[in-house]
Amino acid sequence: MVAIFRYDNMEMTLLIGLDAASYILTLLLVCIGLVIIFGMMNVINLAHGEFFLLGAYTVVLLQQYALPFAVILVVAFVFVALVGLLIEEVVIRRIYHRFLDTILATWGISLALKQLVIILFGPGSQQAVAPFVEPVAMFGITYSSYRLFVMAMAIAITAATFFILFRTRLGLTARGVIANRQMASCLGVNTRRVDRVTFAFGSGLAGLAGAIMAPLMSVDPQMGVGFLVPAFLSVLVGGTASPLGALWGAGIIGGSNSVVAAVWTPVIAQIVVFSLAILIIRLMPNGLTGRRRR
Amino acid sequence: MLNVRNLKAGYIRGAPVLKGLDLDVARGDCIALMGRNGMGKTTFVKALMGVLPQISGSIKFLDQEIVGLPSYQISNAGIAYVPQGREIFPDFTVEQNLAMGQIGKPKWRNDPVDFVYEYFPILAERRKQLGGTMSGGQQQQLAIARALVGRPDLLLLDEPSEGIQPSIVQEIAAILRRIVEQEQLTVIVVEQNLDLVRRLAHHVRFIENGVIKSGVAVDEINKDPTLIGRYLSV
Repeated sequence: MVAIFRYDNMEMTLLIGLDAASYILTLLLVCIGLVIIFGMMNVINLAHGEFFLLGAYTVVLLQQYALPFAVILVVAFVFVALVGLLIEEVVIRRIYHRFLDTILATWGISLALKQLVIILFGPGSQQAVAPFVEPVAMFGITYSSYRLFVMAMAIAITAATFFILFRTRLGLTARGVIANRQMASCLGVNTRRVDRVTFAFGSGLAGLAGAIMAPLMSVDPQMGVGFLVPAFLSVLVGGTASPLGALWGAGIIGGSNSVVAAVWTPVIAQIVVFSLAILIIRLMPNGLTGRRRR
Repeated sequence: MLNVRNLKAGYIRGAPVLKGLDLDVARGDCIALMGRNGMGKTTFVKALMGVLPQISGSIKFLDQEIVGLPSYQISNAGIAYVPQGREIFPDFTVEQNLAMGQIGKPKWRNDPVDFVYEYFPILAERRKQLGGTMSGGQQQQLAIARALVGRPDLLLLDEPSEGIQPSIVQEIAAILRRIVEQEQLTVIVVEQNLDLVRRLAHHVRFIENGVIKSGVAVDEINKDPTLIGRYLSV
């Protein structure tokens, strides 16, 4: 990397590095819900982007009532988790292990949610306001303070999710049910309840990601799609053997995209990212961390 | 404690493996279920756990009808299951595997698990080891321990000797015997290994074509070798 830039252009390097980190962490933020629903539960949820969307619109709506931003984030998480709970109960639980049906059904949910948003808010784009806008000056550059906040939140949410998955009883139960559903059930675990909670948690994370990202984006009914593809790609590249795979996936997809986009053009970046993803998936069909043992 | 009446169960509609099975098990009894392959031994314990898609008839456990209940409620009612092939969680440590035995049971969730470490000292030594990296015999001990920490009244063991070297089978049989006495467990063990049956069981029931054909006290199979020939040899 260093060879590409002139040495006297440290600021440029720093700026690109920050942008790359910002994109990687944003991607991670969007991925983390997908890691749970797609990576762990094996549900291809094409409505994941709409969960993100619902989180963003929660911000648009609640900012009209001048609620504190922290409260709005909590509400977005809880609201979208409840939506996830409802969708799991009504649709998803009937189609676990039916791959194709899952794609169709969740695509339908995706369309319905999108249209619902259009009916309620109109097709145009809305604006969410960042709670703070002062740029931060550091190391000779200035950088958006809200972007830094998003990066910090991404790290915190990822860490919290991993803590829940690997250090709590709830996480152990969820992982146990996913590893061997029938055995977990025979040991007394109410697997239906675990499914519900796990799906709702993953949905809530998508909503939270949407809420956090809302001030940086134009909030419109199509905004979910933009992140859905790179997020799925990250999870696929990272592999689902471990939830940690998404870290690698987001790092590679997000990192290569933003660095190449900065050095050349966004179009070339897309080409590079997809070529890289194809190459990795071709050589390691189960992703970098391999397939989950069942 | 357990009263099974006219139990019909299987995997496909219209093709029951169990064809009207009756069985009574008294509290404190230890019953070995023997029979040739394909006669319905494993299907029977699976029927008790509520994991079969097709089931009819009656199973009363502690006066509660459990046919039709989901597995987790059957488990919470006090039946523990050590399946064929053990089915421990390979990516979980010994401790985490034991935790899974309690996690779904509000009553026992916070109970200490130390008493199983006394029965199985090897597990205490390997608390932090991943289940999948242990030997077959150790995994079997882990599966039994995992069943015990949920404090069952009835323990179902499906082929506990399968794939385990004979010296370990004897050791496990001896430990099981001790556990059954000290924990006042009732046991149904599906087993082909006569040695283990002799060491553990009080009674033997022979299963053939999905029904119980006959039953004897375990001493009888020592006295009358033709019994074994009739029900077990191919």
